[in-house]
Amino acid sequence: MADTDEAAIHMPSQDSGMHIDTDLSDETQDFRMLNSISFLTDGSQQTLPKRGEKDFEPNPTLFQADVLSASRQAMHNALSYPRLHHPKTQVIGIFAPNGPAPPRSAQKFDMITEESEPSKPAGTGMGVHADSCVYVSNPKGQYFKSIGQADRWNRIWLLPEEALYLLERGTLDIRWPCSEVGCADGDETEDSGIPMSLQAAYAAFMGRSGLTSERFSVYTGLRRLGYTIVRAPGWYDEEEGADSSESEQTTLEKPQAPSLVGIFNQLLQWLYRPTPTTALGPVAGLGIHRSYDNIYRSISIIPWYDPTASPSPPPRTTPPYRVVFHIYKPSTPFKKSAPPTPDFRLAVVNARTHTTFPTSSQLGALLESTPLDPPIGEKMSRQLYMRLRHGYRNVILAVVDEGVVSYLRIADSAFGKEKIYKEKNTRGNKGPWRPRPKGR
Amino acid sequence: MDEPTLPIPISYIAGSYFLFSIDAVTYVRREHHICGVLSGTLPQIPQQNVFLGLPLKLMPEEARLLVEKGVACIVDEVKVQKDGMRSLMEEDRKKYLRELESQGQHAMRLQTDRKEQQREKALKKIEEKKAKARKAEQPPVADGPSEGSVVDLFANDQGSETSRRSSTVAAPYGTAMGVTPATSYPPLPYESSAEQRLALPEVPSSYPMFAHLHSEGYFLSPGLRFGCQYLAYPGDPLRFHSHFLGVSAEWDEEFDLMKIVAGGRLGTGVKKGFLIGGAEKTEGDAGDPSSVRTFSIEWGGM
Repeated sequence: MADTDEAAIHMPSQDSGMHIDTDLSDETQDFRMLNSISFLTDGSQQTLPKRGEKDFEPNPTLFQADVLSASRQAMHNALSYPRLHHPKTQVIGIFAPNGPAPPRSAQKFDMITEESEPSKPAGTGMGVHADSCVYVSNPKGQYFKSIGQADRWNRIWLLPEEALYLLERGTLDIRWPCSEVGCADGDETEDSGIPMSLQAAYAAFMGRSGLTSERFSVYTGLRRLGYTIVRAPGWYDEEEGADSSESEQTTLEKPQAPSLVGIFNQLLQWLYRPTPTTALGPVAGLGIHRSYDNIYRSISIIPWYDPTASPSPPPRTTPPYRVVFHIYKPSTPFKKSAPPTPDFRLAVVNARTHTTFPTSSQLGALLESTPLDPPIGEKMSRQLYMRLRHGYRNVILAVVDEGVVSYLRIADSAFGKEKIYKEKNTRGNKGPWRPRPKGR
Repeated sequence: MDEPTLPIPISYIAGSYFLFSIDAVTYVRREHHICGVLSGTLPQIPQQNVFLGLPLKLMPEEARLLVEKGVACIVDEVKVQKDGMRSLMEEDRKKYLRELESQGQHAMRLQTDRKEQQREKALKKIEEKKAKARKAEQPPVADGPSEGSVVDLFANDQGSETSRRSSTVAAPYGTAMGVTPATSYPPLPYESSAEQRLALPEVPSSYPMFAHLHSEGYFLSPGLRFGCQYLAYPGDPLRFHSHFLGVSAEWDEEFDLMKIVAGGRLGTGVKKGFLIGGAEKTEGDAGDPSSVRTFSIEWGGM
């Protein structure tokens, strides 16, 4: 029997490892595959390229050398594709190194600060985030539905990660402001006309107001997949995650199912108060036992962890184990002015600086900072393992190793809440896959 | 592919090392087996994560290796941008903008041409279909011409672009495309001044093993997803699968047997060898790549 799992290793077709294997972004793909996509002809035909065949090891054949150089050429071509803006659809943003400011006519800055410290979102008086550093006067296109904040002058202000992402994907043309390029044009506009290169944009936005390269990798990676992703209150290292109030509300809202069981349990405990000690006799107690349930209940003397009972006050989260992003699925209707409850909450960890798994208290505090998300729903109520996997609170850890991101979902499961002995009874009653007694 | 001028400036931004020039990326990959991790969005297909674009993110180990070889230097990019843009001469600024304008016009012309070609092709197809419909009684012939329309557009485009770049004719279509260049030179100078350069990158203690494997001709990439420090490829990862999951250890470090079992088991499961290595401690300093010893562990199928 011990060999069966070993055999499975060598036949990966049935192995779950195969599913991991088919994640194309796991390994470097042959850029020649990219050539077959006709993205230049029209945008509607965008299909993902297939995985290319790779060789086992290099050999000195000319054939292999040719294939390799073709791959490299394809990669070179793909990477040198320019970022162009058609005049009809061109969206121009202007870099504001000093953060949000009214239009030039109102105020003028002449001092250039160094890297702006993460400042609190309050105090700008313009209704936009204080960390915003690029504004767009002519916001066109679908991206501004979920990105940016508008001010009184109808300009959309972008946070550094939003600006950098839009520039990187070739959607936004960011210009240097006149104050930064040393040209003293006296006109009203702050646009110097000089476009920011990708390199300049990275230098300007990366490291600004808490945007690390790890956070940016996660941000762009999820944006590319179509998720909407916004900063969570835990973004700033010195601020306390303000999610806790949210979590308390939900606790109060959804007490139905567990409380019924709880009352029932209390009643039974009061009736048959068991003496949980083996010194005086069997744990189950002496006397007549009419059902197994009672016996199981009386022998469950090991205390268990209940994730629904949150400690008050909630423990402090420690960076980086803190929710920094709220994520919405593409299917979730998202409104910038009133963001709905996020589908996922995500913390970003740099694998190079944090090489150990988070401690129980770090993880506990992180989970405690997320609202209660009990496993309810039609599917959940039927399947025990779905419930256990879903847990009562959950958070996603994005672990970034030098630009390579791995996502882990951490859930607070409640094994103690799942009474297996009760499960059996309910299954026997209604499970269609169980042979029914003959008489019925 | 142009050869970049050495030393290649590696941009240090907020704790990470980046390359923005496509020539530099191709060059270090081809000549020095440094692949880095592409971390940017490809503007031509932005909604996917399989193929990524510039910039190339380098591990500190990779950046250090290139600097030690004298191929590259580390540049404080934030400082370069700030100083450079502010001291930009009016003359250079105008020249740069003119250059961008002509690039934009060129791109516009290319795109318009392409659209024209596509239109013609589409019209031709419709014509053909009509012709076919007319002689519907005749036995159907293999539709070769429609197959032929699937051309390698990208390669074609590249070829024509380079050939046309030499010709300097004003764009007949009036407006120009806006261009976001990848690098900042021009207008900034390519070479950095001494005060903009930074010291050698800080590297983890696994650097000797990294340098050793690299010197043996392996291509290395970050390996956290496979449960190791480095994935070692026998050749360019574009064409080959990795052979080893590399984990570095200190010379006298005692580690749990479980680590070997877990690593060996995992490696065998993904058809790779589990490789453990470290530099022998010598008098004075540790970490000479030539004193590194490596061991590969596999599950024996007896």
